[in-house]
Amino acid sequence: MSNTKKYWKGIEELKATPEFLQSKNNEFVEDLPVDEFLGNDNIVDTSTNRRDFLKFLGFSVTAASLAACETPVRKAIPYLNKPEEILPGVANYYASTFWDGNDYSGIIVKTREGRPIFIEGNELCPISQGGSHARINASVLSLYDSARFKAPLVSGKESDWKTLDNAVTGKLTAIAAGSGAIRLLTSTIISPSQKAAIAEFTSKYPTTQVITYDSISYNAISLANNASFGKAVIPTYDFSKADVVLGISCDFLANWLSPIEHARQFSSTRKVNVEDKKMSRHLQIESNLSVTGANADKRVVLKPSQIGNAVISLYNKLTGSSLSTKSIDKKDAIISEFAAELNKHKGRALVVCGINDSAIQQVINAINTHLGAYGNSIDLDTPDYTRQGNDAAVMNLVAEMNSGKVDALFIQGVNPVYTLPNGEAFKAALSKVDLSLSFSDRPDETTAACKFVAPDNHYLESWTDANPRKGILALGQPTINPLFSTRQALESILAWSGITTNAHDYIAKHWETNFYPAFATLGGFTTFWNKSLHDGIVNNNPETLVLEPAIKVTSSPIATPTVPPIADLNAAANAINAASKSSGTEVFVYQKTGIGNGNQSNNPWLQELPDPITKVTWDNYILMNTAEMEEKGFNTINGQVQEADVIEVTLGANKINLPVLAQPGLSKGVIGIALGYGRENVGKTTNGIGANAFRFTQFVNGTFQRESFGAAVSGSVGKYHLAATQTHHTMMGRQIVKEATLEEYKKDNKAGNEDLLLSTNLKTIGKDGKAAPKELNLWESFENKNHFWNMSIDLNACFGCGACVVSCTSENNVPVVGKDEVRRSREMHWLRIDRYYSSDMNEEVAEKEGVGAIDKFLKMEIPSADDNVEVVFQPVMCQHCNHAPCETVCPVLATTHSLEGLNQMTYNRCIGTRYCANNCPYKVRRFNWFRYNENAQFDFNMNDDLGKMVLNPDVTVRSRGVMEKCSMCIQRIQAGKLVAKKNSERPKDGAIKTACQKSCPTNAITFGDFNDINSQVRKTWNNERKYQLLEEVGVQPSVFYLTKIRNKTSKEA
Amino acid sequence: MHHIRASIHKILVITFTILLTSNTSFSQDAAKLFKGNCASCHKPTAVKLVGPGLLGVKSRWPDQTKLIAWVKNSTEFLKTGDAYANKLYNDYGQSVMPAQALSDAEIIAVIDWADKGGDAPPPPPKDVTSVDPTGVPPVENNNTLYILLGIGVLLTVLILVLTTVKSSLEALLNEKRGIVVVPKPERTPGQRFRYWASNNKKLVAIIGLFAVIWVLKQGWDGLLGVGVYTDYAPEQPIKFSHKLHAGDNQIACVYCHSGVEKSKHANIPSANVCMNCHAYIQEGPNYGKEEIGKIYAALDYNPETRKYGTNQKPVEWIRVHNLPDHAYFNHSQHVKVGKIECKQCHGPIDSMEVVKQYSPLTMGWCINCHRETEVAFKDNKYYEDLHKKFVDDPKYKKGDKFTVEKIGGLECSKCHY
Repeated sequence: MSNTKKYWKGIEELKATPEFLQSKNNEFVEDLPVDEFLGNDNIVDTSTNRRDFLKFLGFSVTAASLAACETPVRKAIPYLNKPEEILPGVANYYASTFWDGNDYSGIIVKTREGRPIFIEGNELCPISQGGSHARINASVLSLYDSARFKAPLVSGKESDWKTLDNAVTGKLTAIAAGSGAIRLLTSTIISPSQKAAIAEFTSKYPTTQVITYDSISYNAISLANNASFGKAVIPTYDFSKADVVLGISCDFLANWLSPIEHARQFSSTRKVNVEDKKMSRHLQIESNLSVTGANADKRVVLKPSQIGNAVISLYNKLTGSSLSTKSIDKKDAIISEFAAELNKHKGRALVVCGINDSAIQQVINAINTHLGAYGNSIDLDTPDYTRQGNDAAVMNLVAEMNSGKVDALFIQGVNPVYTLPNGEAFKAALSKVDLSLSFSDRPDETTAACKFVAPDNHYLESWTDANPRKGILALGQPTINPLFSTRQALESILAWSGITTNAHDYIAKHWETNFYPAFATLGGFTTFWNKSLHDGIVNNNPETLVLEPAIKVTSSPIATPTVPPIADLNAAANAINAASKSSGTEVFVYQKTGIGNGNQSNNPWLQELPDPITKVTWDNYILMNTAEMEEKGFNTINGQVQEADVIEVTLGANKINLPVLAQPGLSKGVIGIALGYGRENVGKTTNGIGANAFRFTQFVNGTFQRESFGAAVSGSVGKYHLAATQTHHTMMGRQIVKEATLEEYKKDNKAGNEDLLLSTNLKTIGKDGKAAPKELNLWESFENKNHFWNMSIDLNACFGCGACVVSCTSENNVPVVGKDEVRRSREMHWLRIDRYYSSDMNEEVAEKEGVGAIDKFLKMEIPSADDNVEVVFQPVMCQHCNHAPCETVCPVLATTHSLEGLNQMTYNRCIGTRYCANNCPYKVRRFNWFRYNENAQFDFNMNDDLGKMVLNPDVTVRSRGVMEKCSMCIQRIQAGKLVAKKNSERPKDGAIKTACQKSCPTNAITFGDFNDINSQVRKTWNNERKYQLLEEVGVQPSVFYLTKIRNKTSKEA
Repeated sequence: MHHIRASIHKILVITFTILLTSNTSFSQDAAKLFKGNCASCHKPTAVKLVGPGLLGVKSRWPDQTKLIAWVKNSTEFLKTGDAYANKLYNDYGQSVMPAQALSDAEIIAVIDWADKGGDAPPPPPKDVTSVDPTGVPPVENNNTLYILLGIGVLLTVLILVLTTVKSSLEALLNEKRGIVVVPKPERTPGQRFRYWASNNKKLVAIIGLFAVIWVLKQGWDGLLGVGVYTDYAPEQPIKFSHKLHAGDNQIACVYCHSGVEKSKHANIPSANVCMNCHAYIQEGPNYGKEEIGKIYAALDYNPETRKYGTNQKPVEWIRVHNLPDHAYFNHSQHVKVGKIECKQCHGPIDSMEVVKQYSPLTMGWCINCHRETEVAFKDNKYYEDLHKKFVDDPKYKKGDKFTVEKIGGLECSKCHY
């Protein structure tokens, strides 16, 4: 059975608008203004005549040649005392720790000549296990942000540390003498040493109170766990131990709690193979179309106001209880199905919920208890320490400040003026605080309102330690000297406590007294310290590492949690019912995988990373149901060809104006807005982009909630261009993603991936002249005697998160081009992730229902319901064809084939005819329309001495007028081969990893030498799910994919 | 009994042979060992460097075992209270000779070699091409041009002489026959040239053609030379002499350019490497204290008190070899894996007072070498299979060279990415 599902790339293809049809077959959307230029009658009137032109020409040629003849004087400045471990030209790798108050990961930092240039996951870290996340990959560029503070600020003016210290200690002493209130508002602190430093500070100034604030709050989970089990903790989840996962408004693969870890665990249950055709089932209930929801086997769309009721209904159906709930209409039947399925897998089922409401979370706890998830996929006894925020305490602080009770406020790692729902009130209250100080290392909305700024070091300049969860201890080391006159917050706090020491000594001392004793048997402290520093992680076995938990647990551990008291659940249900008063438009806010909570929004790599779902860059926007937009008369085209409508959303006193974008998979009457935009005075990259959606969060039932009700949406108040990367580079409507259901796959290893035979009129070939594309060759085959580099991508494990796109950008000096150029479809990413929506109509259904041909094709273009929108992701980079069409058309042989199976691109030979891009069936070639470095027109990191420090010295920075494309990280291949040659051996499989492969949290990408018969990639080649993109074209790519298998029943298919 | 004696005899003979052969191999390597381990402080002559010259060292150390102990670990040996050792220690500014990780046999081999003053001084390099087997051909091209030019000049002179002879003979003949030659009307040289030219149109055309070709050729060559900086020899901030260090003192290249086998850069040594020797050698033969003083100035080092200050300022060397940014070159690939000698590209560096760019560093030059050079595949398992495939290929002919080109060494992505 062939897969006849029809994919459409966006609303405009679905609707087949005239603009789209016209532009569909053009590689370049806009016409070149040739006629305009030639038709210009004024041309003859210009003062420049032919003679002048020739004069100028002659002069420029002479000037250029003279300039070229001059011998450039280049200097080489060696060290005076070369550090032993640094050898110019050879990269050093350091284990460190990433923690920015939102994401945690053990990382490896690659440095060249003392500059950090690349970040990858630390394989020893039990949380990231070598995987990474777009925001973590990009954090290296945030180090080189020229907007960072260069010195401490006193009353908004640059000052020095001595002045600041004197002023702060002076005020503190005065406040302490008068028993004034001192408050420390911090993000979750997972550093044991920093906690100790704060304890020192508190003992010196006893009126100090610490308030922990997570901008993306998970407070409801710990509150619910306290109510249900008497443990105010956030548990750890193990998705690899669940056969059925139900996510409820929970983007656990991309943004929720510990996404790298979850993605890795979850992918291990999704990678099917012939030996073990078992696969987990993923159900999702959500309002947004999240990355996680896009990967679900079955997804149900509910309004935010219905989700609480759906949770109660699910509980009732699972247990046969009858908690009071409101009806959710037609969707009730699906909830029953979900309940039946979950019940069937008791002990191997898991329900996770991203709603920050303690009542809902309590019901979720009851559901998980019923399903026996505790002790299996949920571990309450190994709490996660990365979210310790106390939302009520934060709101209380604002009230305290307003009443003038707070004399000193220190703000570390958070930006409350921007992220609080009542940020403006916080800002106003801040002016009533005598001593207000922020530790932020770069300007933000809060520093602008603070009297002092004591800029912290960037994490790559800091010594730090971390205890992200029970049993895991990590160490972070600086990989560069502080670039500016900044000081680690830890040192500042110690200095004001009267302790003069540096962060390294303090942390080492803390470790020696607190952690080393447990390891004393292994050797001296120096050995222990050096090993910890080298690994970045201390023995991750919780059995051997007993640490003081960061949160004191009052009650005794509960081995098997019992069902929480029904009285509590009734109360919870009542609270949920009371809150779910749907009125007006419902609003949810969400994190994009790139921008997250906005703390790195001045990072051009993250701004240019397309959103995994909408593929829009450089903006936030209002997501709305397509049909609803049509009713309201809004433009449902993606805002690129035609401008999107700008609308005004009002909720209480908050108003924002944003363009509106049609999003399949959303209910009517619901809108979604991404967080992290609308920053003010933060830096050139992010200023003035989008609007702040944190104002649409609200403080309800003791927690910050990301859903709000009763908003009013205006009509169109303006027009706005959005810049998206999809709908360009069209695949000409051809079928490119192959998929099958698990049921089909169980019957047939080649389900959805039948052998492709092309008819020829040569009777000598194959059977009846039918032959596989590979047999129909125009060209002679290349002999790959040495290596034959191949790559496989498992579409079952690719969740579309985009970590690979950022790591590719980082590794290969891919320029940022900015919104205008993206809009002209000139983005430079070497690796894109295509996202295709599907509709449920196909040949089989048509035949069964007797649909005529015309109707069938019309219906193929229409998704049956928002519930059923399915999404596939497919990363596409240069496929390194063995019969590459680009190579044959290059007039100057700038793109050629190597003996190792790579399609090589030689920039210095390229003259920019772009024939190759025209002839590439995959549209993966990128043309440098401008010089993107040192060009004020593209004022991003490459136009900035500091930003240029992130460049990889082993990769050429391309100039204007040349083509570029994925090189399969040739610099890494060459480096890996060199290591092997020096060791007199063949490169080991897995020793050479491409940047995208290294960052992939799910190991969806495998790269290796096909000629090595034991290599992973060679084994994958024999997988019957293997297929090549557009195999019928006969270009024989070196990159191949594994079909996507969905775990769904034939009824759902 | 006889049996056992025979066995012992055999064993003795074998042991002796092994010892002998291994000894010979050591003495073959003595010069190399010396260069690698000793040459930065000692010379095999009477000249003092950091340490004493080793000519006649055996006479100064009659007890060989003591000498070996001294070389192996001088600090330990000093503790034995040996008078001569302590005298040496004090004479050479109480600087410790670093312990050498050499075997007894190696030490003996080196001492035997150095005691006799090392090898006879190598003949001064006459021509670089003789030093370097693969050579660089452009020199030859120039020679052909000169020879052709010479022949041309000779022919012209011959023609001129013959013409003069002919005209004087004609005049003589005319005189004899009594023919009075009417003197030609007086013409300006310009007129004469035009007159001549109008009578010899073919010749003028041919000469003109050659002239145009010559001008074009000059122009073409000039354009090809744009960006080629062969013989570029900028003045360096310190007048460092490679002739003195690498040539006369025989210090191994890798001693200072320590990255050459590990990194893409050979690396200019950091000043602390200079100080390994120049902490003691404070005066040079060419410029006295002036140039060495610049290292001290950079490090803010006081040679009197032997203390480093804080006002340090790095030395800003001028890069001699500049590859364009789009070309990737890795020294370790060529030196460590390819086993290419430094001199092959850098020329007779050990005779250069001021370093100059010896090779053109053009892409043609790179490619040419990749075409001709054989891969150093021996004893390298990476190439084992590849070489076998090369030999097993039906197209293989005996004598075919397993060159870099054969394994993709001419491909763009080997150097451009």
